[in-house]
Amino acid sequence: MRFVDEFRDAELGRALAGEILAVVEPGRHYKLMEVCGGHTHSIYKYGIDDLLPANVELVHGPGCPVCVIPMGRVDDGIAIAHQPDVIFTCFGDMMRIPGSDGSLQDAKAAGADVRMVYSPLDALRIAKANPDRDVVFFAIGFETTAPSTALTLKRARAEGVKNFFCMCNHVTIVPPLRALLDSPDLRLDGFVGPGHVSTVVGARPFEFIPARYGKPIVVAGFEPLDVLQAVHMILRQLAEGRCEVENQYSRVVPYEGNLRALEVLAEVFTLRPHFEWRGLGFISQSGLRLSDAYADFDAELRYAVPGVRVADPKACQCGEVLKGVIKPWECKVFGTACTPERPIGTCMVSSEGACAAYYNFGRFARERQVV
Amino acid sequence: MSAFSVRLDEAVAHCDPHGGCITCGDEAVAMRVCVIDAGRGLALCEDEAGRRSSVEIALVEPVAIGDALLVHAGTAIGRSAAGPSGGTDHA
Repeated sequence: MRFVDEFRDAELGRALAGEILAVVEPGRHYKLMEVCGGHTHSIYKYGIDDLLPANVELVHGPGCPVCVIPMGRVDDGIAIAHQPDVIFTCFGDMMRIPGSDGSLQDAKAAGADVRMVYSPLDALRIAKANPDRDVVFFAIGFETTAPSTALTLKRARAEGVKNFFCMCNHVTIVPPLRALLDSPDLRLDGFVGPGHVSTVVGARPFEFIPARYGKPIVVAGFEPLDVLQAVHMILRQLAEGRCEVENQYSRVVPYEGNLRALEVLAEVFTLRPHFEWRGLGFISQSGLRLSDAYADFDAELRYAVPGVRVADPKACQCGEVLKGVIKPWECKVFGTACTPERPIGTCMVSSEGACAAYYNFGRFARERQVV
Repeated sequence: MSAFSVRLDEAVAHCDPHGGCITCGDEAVAMRVCVIDAGRGLALCEDEAGRRSSVEIALVEPVAIGDALLVHAGTAIGRSAAGPSGGTDHA
C-alpha cells in the first residue's frame, strides 16, 4: 500500500530490533510509556513488544480519550439524550461506554434518539436538517479532536444555527502526563509521545518532561517502524546520558504545532479549573469547556444534568491499567467478566483501549507464553 | 431510509476492533484533496481505500488539488511534508 509499506518493512524492523538490542544495558530494566492509545493499538496489532529485549517493557498510558471518561459524564450525556426533542450525537466508541445505569446504546434502545457520527460536522448537518429539534454533540478527545469541534462551533455560529449544542468533554494531554510523573506508583524511564496530538500542539509542550523530570520523550508515528524507531531513540538517549524532546514523526509533526488550530482552540474553549479522569481522579486545568463567547452552544448550560461523581465498578481495574501500574491481563475480570462484547471498564470498549487492544491481538500470544 | 438500512449503516460504521478508531482515538488518516469548495472551507478528500468524505480545511489552507492532508474527525489538522508524490506519509 502506498505511503505505509515503507513503515511496515519486516527486514528494516528486524534491523531496528537489532539496534535496540545493541543499545540496552544488560541487567537494567527499562520501563517506557506510550502515552497514546493509537500506539497501544499498533504495539499489539503488530506484535512490537515481541521484537523488544525482555528488559524493555512498554506500559500503556492514559491517551485514549474514551477510556478516561468518568462514569458520571456518561450519565450526564444519557440524561441529556433522554430529554424530549433531543437528537444526541456521539462517536462510535462512546455509544458503548457503560454509565452507572447502562450506555448510550442502551438509552437508544430505550427510545432516546442517539446517533453515531464520524465528525462534529456530521452532527451539525443533522441539526440543519432538523431545525425543530435540539441536536447535542458529545464532544470528546484530546487536542487532536478538539479543533474539529471548535471549527464546527464557529461554522454553526457563522451559519446562524440555533439548535446545535455541544457537551464538551475535551481534555488536554500535558496535565495527565504531569500527574503520572508525580505519581509514586510509577517509575518510568521515558515516553513515546503522542503523534497526532502533537500535530496540533507541537513537540514543544513536552519540554517540561526532560527539563523538570529528567526523562526523555520521543514524539512518534503509528506505524510499526515508527514505534520501534522511537523506542530506539529513547534508549539511545538513555545510553548516551541525554534527556530531551525528540521528534521521530517530523514528516507530520511541526515542532511548534499547528498555530492556526491553537488559535481556534483558544477562541472557542477555555480551561476548566479541574476535570475528572477515570483512574487518575481530578486533575487541575486538564479539561476544556466552551468559552463565554460560545456559551449559547453549551449543552451543559441549556440542560440540567445530574453532575454526580460515580465511582468506577469495584471489579474494574481500568485506573491501574491507565496509569500503567498493571497490564491488562492482570486485571481480575480481564477476558472473563469483561470482554469487548460485554465490557465492564472503558479500556475494554474503545479499540484504542489497552484492554481491548490486548484482548483482540495479544491474548493468544500471552496464553502461549503461559503454557 | 428504512430502519434496516439505518441499522446496516451503523453496523458498517461501527469502529472495527482490528482497524483502530479514527474518530475518537489520537489517530488521523492521510487523505488526498480531490475537489475544493473554497467558499465553504471544505474539500472532498479521498483516503487510501478510495473512500471520499468532506473535510474542513480551515486549519491547513491554502490547499491545492492533489495535496496530502492528515485528517482527523472530518478536519484536516496537518499536511504531509512529503507532498502528494513523496510517498512517505503515514496513513
